[in-house]
Amino acid sequence: MKKTLTGAFAAALGLAAIMPTANANPEQTTNGAQSPAATMAAQTCGGCHGTLGQVKDTAFMPLAGMPTTHFVRAMEAFANGSRPSTLMGPLARSFSKEEIQAMAEYFAAIPKFNHTATK
Amino acid sequence: MSTMNRRNFLKIASAAAAASPFLAGASAKAAEEKHVVVIGGGVGGATFAKYLRMYAPEIKVTIIEPKKEYQRPYGSSEVIVGNVDMEEITISYDALKNKHGVNMIQDLVTEIRPDKKEVATAGGMTLTYDRLIVSPGITFDYSLIPGMQTPEAQAQIVHGWDAGNQLETLTKQLQAVPVDGTVVLVPPPNPYRCPPGPYERAGLIAQWLLNRGDKNPKVIILDPKDGFTTDVTMLQAWNRLYGMNLPKPFEKNYKPEEVATFKKYDKPGVIQWIMATEGGRVVKVDAANKIVEAEAGVFKADMITIIPPLKAGKIAIEAGLADKSGWCPVNMKTFESKIHPFIHVIGDSCIAGEMPKSGYSANSQAKVVALQVKALLNNQPLNEVVLQNTCYAKAGPNDYGMFVADVFRQNPEGVLKRAQQPRYLPFNASTAQFRLSAVYLEAWMQSFTQDIFS
Ligand SMILES: Cc1cc2nc3c(=O)[nH]c(=O)nc-3n(C[C@H](O)[C@H](O)[C@H](O)COP(=O)(O)OP(=O)(O)OC[C@H]3O[C@@H](n4cnc5c(N)ncnc54)[C@H](O)[C@@H]3O)c2cc1C
Repeated sequence: MKKTLTGAFAAALGLAAIMPTANANPEQTTNGAQSPAATMAAQTCGGCHGTLGQVKDTAFMPLAGMPTTHFVRAMEAFANGSRPSTLMGPLARSFSKEEIQAMAEYFAAIPKFNHTATK
Repeated sequence: MSTMNRRNFLKIASAAAAASPFLAGASAKAAEEKHVVVIGGGVGGATFAKYLRMYAPEIKVTIIEPKKEYQRPYGSSEVIVGNVDMEEITISYDALKNKHGVNMIQDLVTEIRPDKKEVATAGGMTLTYDRLIVSPGITFDYSLIPGMQTPEAQAQIVHGWDAGNQLETLTKQLQAVPVDGTVVLVPPPNPYRCPPGPYERAGLIAQWLLNRGDKNPKVIILDPKDGFTTDVTMLQAWNRLYGMNLPKPFEKNYKPEEVATFKKYDKPGVIQWIMATEGGRVVKVDAANKIVEAEAGVFKADMITIIPPLKAGKIAIEAGLADKSGWCPVNMKTFESKIHPFIHVIGDSCIAGEMPKSGYSANSQAKVVALQVKALLNNQPLNEVVLQNTCYAKAGPNDYGMFVADVFRQNPEGVLKRAQQPRYLPFNASTAQFRLSAVYLEAWMQSFTQDIFS
């Protein structure tokens, strides 16, 4: 019920137009956050969190559209252990501050994927 | 036609060509249109094609793959124990074709001609490329296992390491194991596809036999190695779940206070791991009578599965892309072959420093190569690389998961090295962490497949 409403609401607002298509070119969707270096770091997340961070219906957190500070704080908390995790702890510790900032900006600039609207 | 008009015409023509799915050999190639050919529509090849189309829609990408649908090897041991069926591991190429505009050709590449920058197929086609991506997976080498060279032996004892019908054979063989029977599993020597995979399969089989009601089944691992990826987590789990004693020579991998937490059993457990120094190396196999002779002794089994030594995909070896090791040396910044220029080898077939041969590695390499190939074809500078691997595994039960997670960068010599961070769950991980790892494992099978094929 909730899902249908979200979909219908999005459609009513004409939000379907911002639905990223399969060919969404990250270098076109942005304010410049999608440099090759940022893409290089951010694309490593896709194997779990989905292409462009737009994971569909799974246990993983979608990263697309996440505010930059939210992303950076989460990674810091994983790295210092204040946020319990399975493998995000080891991974967060393996990326540099610059890489984490670049990833955060990359994902913040990508629209959230409203999956229900495509069904 | 004025110069102006002519240029515009070319632009429009190539844009139109880029927008529609390409047909092999059809449509005159516009002057500036670049063509990248991919051998193999598996994890490496499919990820590369999707990501290059996403990053550089103006570049034409063709995948040549003999199979109509992909059967994923990752997660495929779960088929043997009935956790998932064949349909669940079968994946369509429709999204690559229709959504991403990848030109899919169902055919087998039989020859690579680096000097002419072209490939030839079994179906009689010849395709030219600006860059060639080779991701043909693995081949199996039985030459070093006496008793396993004949087709009969290879039909009786199967590996199931490349999905396909062998998974069905293994399923039937497991179901035919008598109550409290013995299963012998032989992992391959390094390096090989999916380092935790053979051990996960041993755990899944042990759990299946116990779930069936067996009181005293045996799963014996005869190992040519003294350790494996995820071993410290896996052995701890097997000690808890399957009455397995910690092998004495392995104790050095734990702190003394950790060793003290291991339970001691006065008889062998359901799983027995016979490491190389304890005689795990196989010397001879009698497939017809289901007997494996190892340095430690002779093992009579009800079911045997042997994953033989592996090498790069056949086409990579035939094209001279492999070295004496049987794997393909590459420049680890671009994955361009050190032997033939303009050819990039990714996935299990390549030598990628400390990166394991896994689906996650193949996927991560493919994305890097998509960025680098885009730069190379546009005469832009190459990018510094960062890559990742995550492999999940189950200890046996569906609620006990574990993982290895690593980030890789090039060292000054250009070799890909792990970032030096803990890569496993800690020794004192909580029940919740093992349980969550299993939840993520199952979610990963879906999200990973989407990242490659959807
Ligand atoms: C039991 C098991 C469990 C696993 N679990 C995991 C896991 O949890 N996590 C993980 O990351 N990895 C896992 N893996 C490993 C993963 O499946 C492989 O590492 C990955 O598939 C390698 O990708 P690839 O592109 O190199 O090869 P493949 O995916 O095998 O693709 C190769 C493709 O090339 C095609 N091909 C071959 N030769 C030619 C030719 N001449 N012309 C055209 N096409 C050709 C083949 O048909 C095939 O489709 C597991 C593997 C197994 C066996």
